[in-house]
Amino acid sequence: MSGPATGRSLGLLLCLACRETVRDVKAPQLRCPRCHARLHARKPHSLVLTTLLVIGAAVLYVPANVLPVMDTRTFFDDENDTIMSGVLVLLHSGSWPIAVLVFIASIVVPLLKILALGVLLYSAWARSAHRPLQRSALFRMVEFIGRWSMLDIYAISLLATLVQVQSFASIIVGWGAWAFGAVVVLTLLAARTFDERLLWDTPRD
Amino acid sequence: MPFETHMSSVIVCPACDLAHRRTAPPARGRTLCARCRAPLQRPQSAAIDTAIALAVCALVLLLLSNAYPLVAMHVNGSYRETTLLGAALGLYAQDFESLAALVFLTTVIAPLLQIVTLLYVLIPLWRGRRALGQNAALRILTQVRPWRFMEVFMLGALVALVRLSKFAHIVPGVALWSCALLMLCLSALTSITSPEQLWRWVEGARA
Repeated sequence: MSGPATGRSLGLLLCLACRETVRDVKAPQLRCPRCHARLHARKPHSLVLTTLLVIGAAVLYVPANVLPVMDTRTFFDDENDTIMSGVLVLLHSGSWPIAVLVFIASIVVPLLKILALGVLLYSAWARSAHRPLQRSALFRMVEFIGRWSMLDIYAISLLATLVQVQSFASIIVGWGAWAFGAVVVLTLLAARTFDERLLWDTPRD
Repeated sequence: MPFETHMSSVIVCPACDLAHRRTAPPARGRTLCARCRAPLQRPQSAAIDTAIALAVCALVLLLLSNAYPLVAMHVNGSYRETTLLGAALGLYAQDFESLAALVFLTTVIAPLLQIVTLLYVLIPLWRGRRALGQNAALRILTQVRPWRFMEVFMLGALVALVRLSKFAHIVPGVALWSCALLMLCLSALTSITSPEQLWRWVEGARA
């Protein structure tokens, strides 16, 4: 007898849309009898799709941090802000709790997500059986923190909308913001295409 | 009939595929998977009436959030204000259509779709009927659920206000408060309308 009873070893499928348990009749294009969603033993092409999304996010992470996210034009000067310089502006103006918040949400979280998904993908490709509980916890953390990196996008959209005071000051959105938004969306999608169960599948199954 | 495949005596963990014997849903707290500690069954939560009431409340708050200004800014004798929708339009005006779409989808469309779809499914169920295209509506709901970012938006607004308060006079608008309430209302609504719970209501109405 090998290992605990799993859905796979019992020939059962789980409908991810409605959580119904369905016997796998090995038919192509199987649908859930209850909600009619497509059924798959594992999310289709999970590893390939997730890997592509994470690579895309990692590539865009560079322009997201190097290019200016906004350009503040006033009478006196013209100031380009990257995400990091935005954090420094907040820090110098004395609102350090907000500075820490933005630093975590915009710099630490995306980087952590890309690295964590990289580690998880590597272990899933290698069919590692090492510490699945910890890897599972890591994945849940990625899922949980993911949306918080949208914070800067919202802040920028409000600033750029409000600060359009004729000839006094205006804020122009930069391409860094675009790249940053793309990083956030790609990592969110990557967390959705990744099938957690791959962390537990043993080569034997 | 090839669909005699119902295996409701077994529940499979969505996170690690471990099979468990299905027990009655817990009265409170969630049951966790024995192997990976992922939530396996959510409690049999509030009544369908509560969900409908919360959804109506969220709908009103969403309308208020879009009808009134979020913040107003006074600087150098001039005055600017924006609404929730205005934030997305501001990006659109600067030719960042994709970013504008992202903000619009996550702050307006996703909550609206979630609330309207829920009401569309729940109101007939509450009257013991079935909405036309109920399954499709429920599938849309599963897709929309992860894309609500109201609490993130609130913090983003806070960050923007802190940055602006250094050189302008900021007046919080009605929509800022209604957004805060909407955030609370939506998280309560989302937690009592898990896909699992929605299907319990569907099956309860069928029985």
